[in-house]
Amino acid sequence: MKRIGTRCLGALRQDAQLRFGVIGLAILLLLCLLAPVLATVDPYYYGPDSLAAPGVSGHLLGTNHLGQDVFSMLVYGVRTSLMVAIVSSMLSGIIGVVIGGIGGYFGGKVDVVISEIINIFLMIPVFFLIMLIVSLFGSDIKNVMIVIGITNWSKNAKLMRAQALSLRERTFVKSAIALGETKMQVLFKYILPNGIFPVVANTTRGMAGAILTEASLSFLGLGDPNVISWGQMIYQGKQYITTAWWISAFSGIAVIITVIIFYMLGDGLNHVLNPKYNQGGNK
Amino acid sequence: MKRFIVRRIISGILTVLVVFTLNFALVKSAPGDPITSLMGKETDDPVLREALMEKWGLDQPVPVQYFNYLKNALTGDLGTSIIYNRPVNDMIGERMMATILLGLTSLIIAFVLGTLLGIFCARRDGSILDNTLSTISYATDAMPSFWLGLMLIILFATKLDIFPSQGMYNVRAGYTGLQYVLDVLYHLALPCITLVLITMSGYFRITKSSILQVTNEDFITTMRATGMSERKIFNKYIFRNAILPTVTMLGISIAFLVTGVSLIEIVFSWPGIGSMTLTAINQRDYPTLMGVYLVMNVSVVVVMIITDVLYAILDPRIRYD
Repeated sequence: MKRIGTRCLGALRQDAQLRFGVIGLAILLLLCLLAPVLATVDPYYYGPDSLAAPGVSGHLLGTNHLGQDVFSMLVYGVRTSLMVAIVSSMLSGIIGVVIGGIGGYFGGKVDVVISEIINIFLMIPVFFLIMLIVSLFGSDIKNVMIVIGITNWSKNAKLMRAQALSLRERTFVKSAIALGETKMQVLFKYILPNGIFPVVANTTRGMAGAILTEASLSFLGLGDPNVISWGQMIYQGKQYITTAWWISAFSGIAVIITVIIFYMLGDGLNHVLNPKYNQGGNK
Repeated sequence: MKRFIVRRIISGILTVLVVFTLNFALVKSAPGDPITSLMGKETDDPVLREALMEKWGLDQPVPVQYFNYLKNALTGDLGTSIIYNRPVNDMIGERMMATILLGLTSLIIAFVLGTLLGIFCARRDGSILDNTLSTISYATDAMPSFWLGLMLIILFATKLDIFPSQGMYNVRAGYTGLQYVLDVLYHLALPCITLVLITMSGYFRITKSSILQVTNEDFITTMRATGMSERKIFNKYIFRNAILPTVTMLGISIAFLVTGVSLIEIVFSWPGIGSMTLTAINQRDYPTLMGVYLVMNVSVVVVMIITDVLYAILDPRIRYD
């Protein structure tokens, strides 16, 4: 356990992007926890001043058309964004790992079918599919997260398949098979844990993608009206863009910062976990 | 080569078929009954219901409906919009040009600018310009495109009043001829700038990294050792090898042109496929939605196949895979 700790610290020291990403994620998590303390007003409270400019009557970043405090909404929006990011990318990660792992490990006909399915999903315009599903089945935030998850696994599956293809030729896997372990045991005990690293990095980047997708859906009016989300704030602000720019402007900046944090985490993890980068020294 | 093309085409047809079936299954399994929403809440006349069921072919068993829809789609008939009672084909046809105009213009500008800047920065890796551009590209990559569009509207349309914020042409002026063309270009400016800023970073990064990668290959070192001029090495060997990933990316962007443009169309009320899709979503006009999705998917598949074949011609390593 101690060794893992030192290795993590070493990785953090080595890679600046990972360091920024981890610090950023820590701040986001803190914001999640401390939202009720940090928010100056209840974000669901419809105050008397609507469309107040930033700074006017104690509203740090102004208010929207219903008199809700923009700053407090931003703080609460972190929760929605992180939830969407984590749930949907976990889902796509798990589906991708299992499908890709099975394809790469079993090979033969199974692999032909699975790679064809992966290729098909790589060619589908995913955003429109998500849009169609959400508009048909309702824009509840749970639906949105599940739909983003089950439509974005193809890249993960592709990465995992390539890993499984090369891992199954390795000696330790072959010896496990020779020792009589079942195929499922080999797959879940040796192939998946050893091949999962590129998927982890890609999934982290996928979290950024999920946040952007949720924002885009909300911008189309397909967001869950019962939760506070940054995409929806941009959408609401669109109508008042000429008079009350702050509603859209600040929520967009919040999206950008969060997405950059996940990009940094993903790229950093990729540098640390990918042996190609490690050999050439420190990048 | 022939086998490669045939395989790609078969896989393309399969993709379209899967999407088609998915489409059908989704709409069929969705909650709510289209006939009820067509009739409205006030009436519940069984005769009217039956007539409507028959008109839209909903009285048939589901597999029959599926094959009817498939048969129609194969002959190029995407059905009729529930809301406008017009063929979906016509509606898409009318809007297609606007989307292609916006999408293709910005794609070409982004491709040329991004690639040039990528080449420029790869040769000056680590310079101030390179660092600045790399940072900017990281930020634009993280930016929701529609948000950037809104911000540009605030800056250029509201505050500075240089460009119009909405539409494709001045409806009131009724220009014709050259004046009309200029007017459309004037309206094109802001949406086009938004798209270029968003998509350029991809070309910039991929060009830069692939040039840097090729430059570090052994065969380039060998050529340097033989004393070949830097310029010749770059033009003849580095550039031609490094441009391949950029070509792939261009192909993918052309394939996903409509998808990428649609959010921007909505921001700027550009009368293209994207804004039509939004209206269809809001009105729950499923035949239109399905039609748009199908057309988009077929075009994605076709362009992807063309790109793959072109790529295989450019790079023999792919063919022998």
